[in-house]
Parts: sequence; structure tokens; C-alpha cells
Amino acid sequence: MQNRGTGFRLPSCLLRLAWLLCAVRADGLVNEEVRRTLDLSTHLAKVSAEVLVANHGASAVQSFTLALESDLAPHLAYIGASVKGDEEEDNSLALKETSIQGRSGTFFQVQLPSALAVGEKLRVKVETVFTHVLHPFPSHITQAEKQLVVFQGNHYLYSPYPTRSQTTRVRLASKTVESYTKLGNPSKNDEVIEYGPFKDVPAFSQDAMKIHYENNSPFLTISSITRTIEVSHWGNIAVEETIDLRHTGAVLKGPFSRYDYQRQADSGISSVKSFKTILPASAQDVYYRDEIGNISTSHLQVLEDSVEVEVRPRFPLFGGWKTHYIIGYNLPSYEYLYTLGDQYALKMRLVDHVYDDQVIDQLTVKLILPEGARNVHLETPYPIVRGPDQLHYTYLDTFGRPVLVATKKNLVEHHIQDMVVHYTFNKILMMQEPLLVVGAFYILFFTVIVYVRLDFSITKDPAAEVRMKVASITEQVLTLVNKRLGLYRHMDDAVNRYKQSRDSGTLNSARKTLEAEHRALTNDITALQARLKAEGSDLAEKVGEVQKLDGQVKDLVCQSCQESERLVAGKVKKETYITSEKTLAGKRQELIARIDGLLDAL
Amino acid sequence: QNLSFQLNYPHESSASFSPNMAEHHTVSECKHKANPNAGGSLSGNGLSGGLTQPAGWQSLLSFTILFLAWLAGFSSRLFAVIRFESIIHEFDPWFNYRSTHHLSTNGFYEFLNWFDERAWYPLGRIVGGTVYPGLMVTAGLIHYLLNLLHVTVHIRDVCVFLAPVFSGLTAISTFLLTRELWNQSAGLLAACFIAIVPGYISRSVAGSFDNEGIAIFALQFTYYLWVKSVKTGSVFWTIGCCLSYFYMVSAWGGYVFIINLIPLHVFVLLLMQRYSRRLYIAYSTFYIVGLVLSMQIPFVGFQPIRTSEHMAAAGVFALLQAYAFLQYLKDRLTKQEFQTLFFLGVSLAAGVVFLTVIYLTYTELGCLYLYSVYAKIHIPIIASVSEHQPTTWVSFFFDLHILVCTFPAGLWFCIKNVNDERVFVALYAISAVYFAGVMVRLMLTLTPVVCMLSAIAFSSVFEHYLGDDTKRENPPAEDSSDEDDKRNSGNLYDKAGKVRKHVSEQDKPEEGLGPNIKSIVTMLMLMLLMMFAVHCTWVTSNAYSSPSVVLASYNHDGSRNILDDFREAYYWLRQNTDEHARVMSWWDYGYQIAGMANRTTLVDNNTWNNSHIALVGKAMSSNESAAYEIMKSLDVDYVLIIFGGVIGYSGDDINKFLWMVRIAEGEHPKDIRESDYFTPQGEFRVDKAGSPTLLNCLMYKMSYYRFGEMQLDFRTPPGFDRTRNAEIGNKDIRLKHLEEAFTSEHWLVRIYRVKKQENRQPLEHKLRSVLAKQKYTSKKKGKKLNKKSV
Repeated sequence: MQNRGTGFRLPSCLLRLAWLLCAVRADGLVNEEVRRTLDLSTHLAKVSAEVLVANHGASAVQSFTLALESDLAPHLAYIGASVKGDEEEDNSLALKETSIQGRSGTFFQVQLPSALAVGEKLRVKVETVFTHVLHPFPSHITQAEKQLVVFQGNHYLYSPYPTRSQTTRVRLASKTVESYTKLGNPSKNDEVIEYGPFKDVPAFSQDAMKIHYENNSPFLTISSITRTIEVSHWGNIAVEETIDLRHTGAVLKGPFSRYDYQRQADSGISSVKSFKTILPASAQDVYYRDEIGNISTSHLQVLEDSVEVEVRPRFPLFGGWKTHYIIGYNLPSYEYLYTLGDQYALKMRLVDHVYDDQVIDQLTVKLILPEGARNVHLETPYPIVRGPDQLHYTYLDTFGRPVLVATKKNLVEHHIQDMVVHYTFNKILMMQEPLLVVGAFYILFFTVIVYVRLDFSITKDPAAEVRMKVASITEQVLTLVNKRLGLYRHMDDAVNRYKQSRDSGTLNSARKTLEAEHRALTNDITALQARLKAEGSDLAEKVGEVQKLDGQVKDLVCQSCQESERLVAGKVKKETYITSEKTLAGKRQELIARIDGLLDAL
Repeated sequence: QNLSFQLNYPHESSASFSPNMAEHHTVSECKHKANPNAGGSLSGNGLSGGLTQPAGWQSLLSFTILFLAWLAGFSSRLFAVIRFESIIHEFDPWFNYRSTHHLSTNGFYEFLNWFDERAWYPLGRIVGGTVYPGLMVTAGLIHYLLNLLHVTVHIRDVCVFLAPVFSGLTAISTFLLTRELWNQSAGLLAACFIAIVPGYISRSVAGSFDNEGIAIFALQFTYYLWVKSVKTGSVFWTIGCCLSYFYMVSAWGGYVFIINLIPLHVFVLLLMQRYSRRLYIAYSTFYIVGLVLSMQIPFVGFQPIRTSEHMAAAGVFALLQAYAFLQYLKDRLTKQEFQTLFFLGVSLAAGVVFLTVIYLTYTELGCLYLYSVYAKIHIPIIASVSEHQPTTWVSFFFDLHILVCTFPAGLWFCIKNVNDERVFVALYAISAVYFAGVMVRLMLTLTPVVCMLSAIAFSSVFEHYLGDDTKRENPPAEDSSDEDDKRNSGNLYDKAGKVRKHVSEQDKPEEGLGPNIKSIVTMLMLMLLMMFAVHCTWVTSNAYSSPSVVLASYNHDGSRNILDDFREAYYWLRQNTDEHARVMSWWDYGYQIAGMANRTTLVDNNTWNNSHIALVGKAMSSNESAAYEIMKSLDVDYVLIIFGGVIGYSGDDINKFLWMVRIAEGEHPKDIRESDYFTPQGEFRVDKAGSPTLLNCLMYKMSYYRFGEMQLDFRTPPGFDRTRNAEIGNKDIRLKHLEEAFTSEHWLVRIYRVKKQENRQPLEHKLRSVLAKQKYTSKKKGKKLNKKSV
């Protein structure tokens, strides 16, 4: 196998060697020792390599180049390089995509923290994650079958520098392996295959590695996710994720039998029943639903440092099946929103955890900022495509909230990082919404007031008008009569006081005021009576009757007043006074009752 | 002025404000009536002492009570939302929701032109022309307005909460109608009744997004405006009535009830010699404008001048014109001339009426027989719907509780003090009782009138017995003469509200009753009302608040399990089948499949095409290969059935199966015979003793496929059907042309995929199969033609 591989390459090898010499001459870097690990235990291919880079060149170098094979490069989701320092664990390095002429593949230029002097060595850790590189084979399986996948890669580290020594270690999902390429007589131990060590591998060398093995881990892919973050300055950040989920493993062939699925443990072993989504610890009001309502099969667990949702789709996901759901929650804004005067900064995750080892094919982030936010500036941890800004209208909005739209393809767990949005917001604008509500209610009540007070009818009903006039007059009469009756009570009080104090002056003055007021009231009532008569109402007669009765009452009051005077003067005995007072009171009661009767009749 | 007034009677001002609600009604009500011209009552006692403007208090109280009624009605309809979620219930609401969704996304005109190719495959359905659009337009309009104000509510929530909101409007229109019929206190009671009565709640809980939810409001409001226009004779009110009638026509097929009841009212008024110019104006305007407006609804079209159920209105219109003409002539002619003319006219009119009646009876007179006639045409289908069954006595009590006992009393009050509008309510009551007796569903039309009449009865009783209560609360009198006076004035004050004379007559016997009996009666009445409220809440909570899309079961410890199988399966269909896949199922699930799964269905709850349904029924009840032929001809991709044998759900397809057989037999008597599905003893059994036809028909096979292996618990043998409590008779079921595509967690919904034909099959039987197919389709076409010409 090995011979065939090198033999095949021989013609081009010379050419490459020549170029390699140039390259080495250019920066003189050599991979002294490479330890590659291919983790294929999930549906991702996580390739990490620890490279000991040595500078055998003439001058110190500032950067070195990473390379990816051209058939893997399109599937690259994440690449990161870090320096293994002595104390600090990871010191991640800045990467920049470049190209090398005459070479296929994708290249990244890694900026070193400090120049690598001649003869010095540096241990660099390169981490890459590839998605959709494990292809199910066979591509269609029945419910009882297990899922087998094929991985095709490179035995060697693809590098623009020659490699002195390297090992490759492949971790699989299970012990069952159908076949694997046997370059250099690899050793297989349970789930691990170890290749190498390979010595003195030239630069840009490739050798096809192919592993066909059983992998029943959930092949879940988020084909699209829209993450909407709505910031409110009233203390809340609402997050909603609309997720399209697909099982990208081997497609289910033939029937789905619920009986087998329920009764046999290994039936549909590659299917996905549920998974866990980890939300921020302060997440509240979590909802999990789709177009036709709440998905009742979920569970929520509040842990100390996170909220864990057991997301269980309505149905188990077999290969090729998909589902769609919405998950949303609220966060308190004080944990994510920072402010300095009018300056605001929102620091949140650009994309959050959906399930372990997640793959997101297409991410759309929508950031809805409060109405009136200006000078918006978005800082992302990795490049992301900004769409045109939009406007969003929701409760009590007038000119719309600015919406930032950003999209990115092919994301994995490593992309769960914070972004920062800076914007300015005038705090006065906070008052806008309450004022709107106040204004709306004000207008409402004002309209009602105007409507009730004004007459909008286009016709006039004379009869109704007369009725209303009469009603108002009678009301006036009633109040006046009652007032007059009240006067009598006042008089009684005055008399009683007089009986105790024996001060005839006050009595006389009280009597005078009573008389005066009574006259005024009686005159008023007579005037009203005349008006009633003018309106042609028969109530005038009743008012006249009331007047007559009232005259009698007044006589009685005067009489009782005189009686009391006489009592005080000692002209009558107490007993006779009491009896006469009683009869007077009785008469008065009777008269007042009759007046009341008449008034009721009004 | 106010100040001195209050100073004068400080000790009496706060006397009679007890927290009793009913008392408030009475008192405030009386005041209202007492002072129509006075504007305010100022007697020596009573509550007006502290209330400077009784009219203000009164309107505040009415407003508060109506608002509370609305609130109570709204919140008691939310059981399902609180227990489950904001979800559309049952079957028909899913269609309404789907069309509302279509309306709100595509606009009104697009909705009117909507041809739904997802229903009745391969026929499709012109939705815009075959629905009453009122409901969708109402919900769509509310949604549109809210969105215009940037209240971003989802259309689903608008739909879910539409019926509870409209129940408040119904309460208000019932209040208005009852106020016109009797008085304000009765109106308030009626509003409270209708807000919580189960008979109406059954159709208007949150999530029950159905025509009836808004139609009852439109019905009550139309009647209110009609009564108002008869009372005033003003064109303004009549036009209002017509608009409201138009809304009703656009909302519900039950508008036929209005267009028959109002002419009936006019007719009876004429018979009672109660003709007046007001009546003439009201009815003439109503008939013409209402007719024109009702014909604007595409689904109604020319029906109002064509079909028999609208003819009574036309006949009465003609009669009224003739009558009015005679009245006019009466003024112009001498008595002698008039008499001859009168006889002539009467005989002519009688002849016309006679002919109309003959014609109407000949064409099966409309309204009275409308529903039963409808049922007769489509017998098996209509009869198979549970809500079309005749009403039992229990359900009267269940839905109306105490009101069903008290409303005859109210009716008696109305008839005893009859006037134009009370004639109307009497007719309303009588006809509604009849309809409710015919069909459970029409309990709905009975409910409002029962509420109104019961409110009248209760209100009258309370007026008699509570009126004196207020008096007793006054401080007991010192002198006998004094007391007499006071009582007199008090009575005058309290009782002046009664416009009716009999109250003063009844004053005397009441005085003989004494306070004890009065308080006992009052207590009894209040207890009845309390029990009514308790019953209403209980019924609402237990009987009418299940979405039926989501089932719930309770464990021994009270915790709840949600069985969400329907949505599980529908959502599977929605996500994991081809967008244009055709799903065959029994018609009950058509709307749900269209709404939740968004897939094409063959038949649905619209049930307009009996032969199509029969074809599906035939496929379900044939053996697998015969069914496969039918399914092939109908391009079926999936078959969906409901199977309750695992969890003991009784509304499943095996229990409905006989209806499928019957409907199929109606159209295909040669192929399907109901007797084949019974044992020789005439039993319908699924166990070994069952008939072989049943044990091998498609429905049976699909329901019990692989169920024979399943052992639910250790006490029962494998394949034990919990719904029918029987061990199934055919355990070894093999499917040749179908395969299991999906089964929900509790096996409630099972979906089968119809396999495509294998490649070699057409080669082998090429000639034969093609011939058979041709024959088959031509046969079908012929049948359809026949059907149409009949």
C-alpha cells in the first residue's frame, strides 16, 4: 500500500521537492514532531495536531502557514491555533487566510506572538473541526440496522513544511470497524487506531485514509437557525431561536415500527429521541413550541450555573427526518447590558448552545435594539456577513426599532462566543412609551367627555326638550323645597338653644334670617312654578299645593316658636307646652309627609 | 347646595348601601323608572341622600356590572388556555383558523378567490365561495388593526381569544335586548346569566374558533335592534338592524332563524291586531335592505329569493303591504265601500297566503324543517355527527341548569303583560325550544332567550321581595301613624319604579307575608343563583374545556400526563412527507390534517360531496387489494387512522367504522353491505367471533397491525384492545400494499404509506389492468353525472 502510494507520486515528487527547497529557504521552518488526533466519535471530524515547529532558516520568522487539503477545506467549520506556553495554557494566535501559488487547498497564515529566532522551536496546537465529512454508507438503512459511516482523509499532516516525524491517532465511535486503510501497519485498539510514526514526510504530501465504521451518535444538523435578540431598556432581553433540525445520518428505509421502537432497545439506535439545550442561568419563561403549539414533551431543569432544557421533538428523529421548533426565553438585561451615560454596550453570545457537538449550517442573528438607538456598531469574535439593517415595529413603537442582521454559515460549538454591540441611546426616549399610553387614554377620556357633554343629534325633538326642561325645573324645585324644610329644622335647633340659653336676641335674629331666607326660597319656588306653568306642565299645580302646605308648616313653626317664647317667659306651664308642642310636631310631621308624598309624585 | 343637603340628612345617607348586588339592581332600577321626568329623586329617606346624581350612580353600577359580567364570562372561558395552552380546539376551528391565516397573510380579495387545492383531492374547494366569511374577516380585521397599532399579536391568539371577547359583547347585547323587553335590572341579570351559562360557553371557550362564537352576538344584537326599530319605527334603527343582520348572515348559517323569526313576529302582530305604522316602517325597510345585504355574501348568493326557507319573509312582506294598503284605504273610503273592498282584499290576501303556504309546504317549509330536511338528504353523514343527535332532557339541565326551570315563569310574565316586543320574545322562546329539541347543536339558539326570560322571572321576584328588604333595613318606626306615613312614602319611593299597575295591588298581600317569608324567599333565590354559578363553573371546567387535540390523563398521585399524539403525528406529516403528499383519512380529521399537517386531504369536515366520502369509506371497509385499487385511483400517498386500543380512547376509527360502512353502502350497495360486518348474531365484534369481512378489511388491518404482538399488561393477553375490551381476532396481519410509516407514541395515530407499484406488475397484467382502470373511472363519472341531475 505504502509503496503504491509513493510510486504514484514519484513524478510530481521531484517537482515538489524543488519548490519545497525554495519554501524552506524562504522561511526555513520544519515540523519537527507532529502528533495528530482525529476524533471521529461524533458526527464531526475534529482534527487536532500538536506541531513542534523549528526554524532551520537563515532569519527569524514572524509567522508560519497552516494548510488544509482541498477536499476537506470546504467542510471546515473552525480552525484555531494556539501556542502551548509553559504556564499559560493556551495562547491563541491570529489567523489570516492566504494562498500559495500552485498549490491546491486552503492556507492560513498564523501570526506568532514573538519572532521565532533561528534554531528555536515552538510547540503549536492546531485545532480544526470539519462538518459533514462523515458520510453514511450505506446511505439508507432500515430501522433495525446500525449506522455505518465512511471517513476519507489524509494519513499525513498537510503542511507546506517537511515533517520529521509524525503520528496519527484516530478515535472512533465504536469498536465495530468495517475497514480502514492500513498505511504503515496501524495498530487498532478498541475504538482507537494509531498510525505511524511516519518519518521525514515531505511538504504537501497526501495519502488517502479511509475508515468505514459504525457510528450511532446522533447525526443532528441545524440546517438553519434564526436567533432573535430583542433588547428592552425596561430590564428585559428576549431571546428566541427558530431552529430547523435534520437528522443527516443514514436515511430510514422502509417502515417505522413503533412496536419495535418501544420494545427493542437497539431498534432505531441511530435515531434521536431527545437532546439537551443549555440556556443561560438567568433564563426565565422558557417556551418550546412550533407552528401548531406547545411541544409538551420537554422538561426544564434549573441548575446552579445554567438552565437545562431537555428538548424532545414531537417525534423521534430518524435518518432523513426533520423538525422545526422555536425556543425562547427572557433574560434580565442587567447581566448583559452595560451603560455609561448615553453609551450602551450589549455583550451576548452570538450563537448559543443547542446540543452538544452542534452543527449549524446557516445562522441568522437578528438584534433588535430599542427604538431610538443610534451609532450602532457590532463587534464579533469572528468574521460574519452583515445584511442590510431593518426596522422592527412592536408594542408602542412609532418610528421602529433598528434591527441588525448578520448571517454566517457552518458553525460549531467553538463559535459560541460573545459579541458586543455598542450604541447610543438618549434616555429621554424612555419616556416616550409611557407618554404614548397616557396620551392615548387622555384622548379616549376626552372624547368620551366631549361626546357625553355635547348634543350631536341632527334633529330636535320639542317634546323631549320640554320634558328635559320640566325635569330640570322640578329638580330645582325639589332642592329648594328640601332646603326650605331644612330651614325649619334650623329653626327648631334655634328654638331649642333658646330654651336653654333664654337669649331672645339670638332667637329673634334666627327668626329674622329664617323669614328672609324662607321668603327668598318661596319666591324662587313661585317663580319656578310660573315657569312650569309656562311650559304647560301639570306639575305646576302640584307645586302650588306644596306651597300651600308649606305655608301651613311655616305657620306651625312660627307657632312653636311663639310657644317657646311664652314658655321661656313663663306664660305657659311646662306640661301644657309639651302637649301643645307634641300636637304641633304631629301636625308638622303630617304636613311634611304630605309634602314628601307630593314631591315623590313629582 | 349639595353640602347643605348632606348635612341635613347625614344619618340616612349611608343607610341602604348594603353589599348585596341584586339589591342594587332593584334599587337603582326603581329609581330610574321613578324619575323619568324628575331627573333625580329627593325623598326624605332612601339612598339618594348621598348620591347627588342617581342617574350617574345608576349608569356607573350598570357599567360596572356589565364589565364584571364580561370579565367573568371571559375568564371562565380560559380553562383550556390555562390548563393546556393557547391552541385551536377540535375540528372545524382548525379550518377557520387556517382560512383566517390565509386571509391575514394574503389579503381579503385573495381570500375570496381562494381555491384550496389541499382539500377534496382531486376536486379542490373554492373556499371563498363556500364559507361564511364573517368569522375570518372579524378575526383578520382585529389582527390587522392590532398590527396597525404595532400590537404584534399572532393571528392564532386573536383566533383563540375571539370567542371569549365576543361573549362579553353578547352579554351587552343581551342586556340591551332585555332592557327593551322588560327593564334594566332584568337586563343586568340576563347579561350575568349569558356570560356564564354553559349552553353558550360550550361553543365559545377560548380556542373554539367557530362561527357560533360571534354569531350569537350578532343574533342578539340584531334582535335588539329589531325590537328597538319596532318600538320607535325609526329607519335609523332598522338600518342598524339590517347591518347587524348582514353581519349575522356573513357569520353563520343560522341567520335563517332570524329571517324566519322576524316575519313570524310581524305576522303574529298582524293577527293580534297590533299593526302600527312603526311596524310597517320597520319590517318593510328590514326586508328590502336585509335581503339586498344578505345577497352580498358569496356563499348565500341568490338563496334568499330562491329557497323555501326564505319564502316566509317574502310572504309576510307582501301581506304587510296589502294590510297597510287596506289601512290607507280605510281612511279614504266610506264604511260601505270599505267593507266590500275589505272582503275583496281579505279574500284575495287569504288566497295569496294560502297559495304561499301550499307552495311552502310543497317545497318543505323552510325554517321549521330546515335542519331536519338537511339531515334527511344526507342521512348517514349528518346522522353520524354527534351534535346532530336529538337533545336529551339531561342535556337541557346540564347546559342551562336552573334557568330551564325558571324561564317558563319569565315567559308567563311576558305573556301576561304583553306588548309588541314581548310577543317577539315569546315567539323566540317557543321556536328556539323546538329547535333545541330537534338537535343538540341548536341548544345554542335557545340559551340566550332562556337567559333573558329567566332574568325577567328572577328580576320580578327580587323586585317583590327585596323591595321590602330595603324598607326593613330602615330604622323601625316609633309611631304607628308615623310608620304608616313613612312606609307609604317608602313604598312610593321604592315601588314607583313599577310601571305596571299590579304592583300596587300586590302590595297588600305582600304586607301579609311578613319579613320572614320574604327573607326566606330571597335567600332561596340567592341560593339558586349561587348553585347556578357553581354548576356553570363546574360544567365549563369539566365538560367544555378540553381542546380534544391534546388529551390529558391523571396519575394516581394527581400528576398529569399529556398525550400529544395527534400533534405528534400531524407534525410528522408536516415535516417528513412530500409537500404535495395526499393523505387519506376519515373526514373527521380532514380539517386537522389540513390545518396542522398542511397536507392534501381527500375528504374533510365540510362533507359537501357524499360520494367522495363514500369512496373513502369504501376503501376503509374493503379488503386490502380492493382498497389499493381505490387508493391508486385517488393518488393516495398516506393513510391516517386513529386507533385508541392502546390507551382506551373511545373516539377512534374502529368505533366510527360502522358509519363508514353505512355511508359506503349508501353509494356502493353492491360492494359493501353493512350486514357483512356483523356476526350472525348481529353483533359488531373485533375478536375471534367477529365477521371475517371485518377482520380482513383495511381499517381493521391498519388499526391492529402488529398490535397482536403487543402485551399491554400482565393480566391481559397480547393484542388486548382496551377500548373494546376484547382480544383481537386477527393477530397475524400482513400488509401487502401498505407499510407502516409512522405511529405515534401511544399508538393513537397510525399513518401508513401506500407503496408504489412494483415495476414488473404493469407488464404482467398490462391489458387487464388498464381496461379495469378505464372502466372504473367511467363508472365513477357516470355516477357523478347521475347524482347531479338528480
